[in-house]
Amino acid sequence: MKNFNFLFEAYMGAWAIFFVYHFTVARRLTRLREEVERLKQTIGKSGRS
Amino acid sequence: MTGKTDGGAFMQAVRSFAVCALVCGAAYAAFFIAPTEKTMGDIQRIFYFHVASFMNAFVAFTIAFIANIFYLMRRSPKADWLGVSGVEVAVAFTSAGLLMGPLWAKPIWGHYWTWDPRLTSTFILWVLGLCYMLLRSLIEDPERRAVVSAVFSIFVFLDVPLVYLANRLPRGQHPKPVILGDTNSGLAPEMGRVLLYCFIALFVLMIALLRERYSLEQLRHEVAEIRAETESGYSASN
Amino acid sequence: MNAPRAALAVLGKEIRAEFRSYELLISTFVFVLIVVFVFSFAFEPTSEESRRIGPGLLWIALLFAGSLMLQPSFSRERVNDTLGGLRLAPIAPFSILAGKILSNFLFLILVEAALLPIFGVLYNLPLAPVAAPLALIMVTGTLGIATIGTVFSAIASHARMRELLLPLLLLPALTPVLIASTEVTAGLLADPYEIRTTWLVMVGAFDIIFLTATWLFGEYLLEE
Repeated sequence: MKNFNFLFEAYMGAWAIFFVYHFTVARRLTRLREEVERLKQTIGKSGRS
Repeated sequence: MTGKTDGGAFMQAVRSFAVCALVCGAAYAAFFIAPTEKTMGDIQRIFYFHVASFMNAFVAFTIAFIANIFYLMRRSPKADWLGVSGVEVAVAFTSAGLLMGPLWAKPIWGHYWTWDPRLTSTFILWVLGLCYMLLRSLIEDPERRAVVSAVFSIFVFLDVPLVYLANRLPRGQHPKPVILGDTNSGLAPEMGRVLLYCFIALFVLMIALLRERYSLEQLRHEVAEIRAETESGYSASN
Repeated sequence: MNAPRAALAVLGKEIRAEFRSYELLISTFVFVLIVVFVFSFAFEPTSEESRRIGPGLLWIALLFAGSLMLQPSFSRERVNDTLGGLRLAPIAPFSILAGKILSNFLFLILVEAALLPIFGVLYNLPLAPVAAPLALIMVTGTLGIATIGTVFSAIASHARMRELLLPLLLLPALTPVLIASTEVTAGLLADPYEIRTTWLVMVGAFDIIFLTATWLFGEYLLEE
């Protein structure tokens, strides 16, 4: 294929953008879920005491 | 934590795999199933994801616009979550499209950028989308942030067609800008089909990213509520 | 108090506040002058080039000046929460915005009126023969800048870093006004002069669309 480099780079670039976005959101989501767990445990402890 | 894992990690993995497979299938179609374009050759295959990205960006912006208007009328936090998710996802898709455009232009015309109406107005839209995200990050109070960014996004949505028009009309004595070519004139039916596949695949991806971002916003709201509860709980018991 | 009269009352208040010290008007005028000078240092335009880049330069300078000048419109009101006082008055929220749009519009027009003769002399441009249509485009374009500028000033006043945020939001959003007004002005300076009505209509449409949007949605920006 002629000009294959540009074609390849273009598609790779687009996918990179989508993946990077997905991973940043997913990572924040995981961190927040851990935070929720932690907070719920803290409430649980103080409720008991 | 009910409902958040949505059927467990396995279903999540299956869904992710399905989305990836769909997108890969679309790329395969763009590379191998679509016929080779007469004048431009294989580089033209960028067209499929490039146009499909922009189409989905437009859908995402529209979703955000409607959600923001709904927020202003009803003040439902969910509408705000949908609004911010829509704009962020739209910016991601616009970025992808803007990345592919110059990589298409360079081998064809020898330069990366042209000041044609679509490219310029898309670039401005992208900038204004980033401004929306910046604005949100600079306002702390959630309700005020939602209201202010909703009004801003409405103004942006009204502005973009005007930006497009302003760039489209022929300018006075300046030489005409190099137009990217009316790519939709006389689109061969096989090309049209591949474009449709790509649009659908990226649409599925867009919705998946939208839902993910929405649940992030929803979770943030939950955390804030739990924190408020915790604080009032402590002060009540003390 | 009915809406137009309320808007005029707000306008009166803004004018009185400004005319105590003239600080905004003077600094805006000086700033625009500086931008115009700096451009000429950078480009050293010949007579022919002046005709070509002059209009663009004029509107860029106004855009920059506007984005600085429109800042205090709402940030001033935060100091002693005078905005809260305005909101308590029995007037429609849109009147407050309309009054501020009008006052910003007026201030910009005053700066332009002082600037244009100087600009014409510095860049050797024949402004006098086209004074009337030039006034028309200045008014229409400035109204667009004032409208979006006031609304975005209200938006930015809720955020941190508002001094940097306002120009950042304003300049991309005002590109249709920039392009269209430049085109009309360039047409007026061409030889023989022509009135590029399509572009003039576009600026007018911009004004109408955004004044309507402000009327519909602007009040939400004044909430606390």
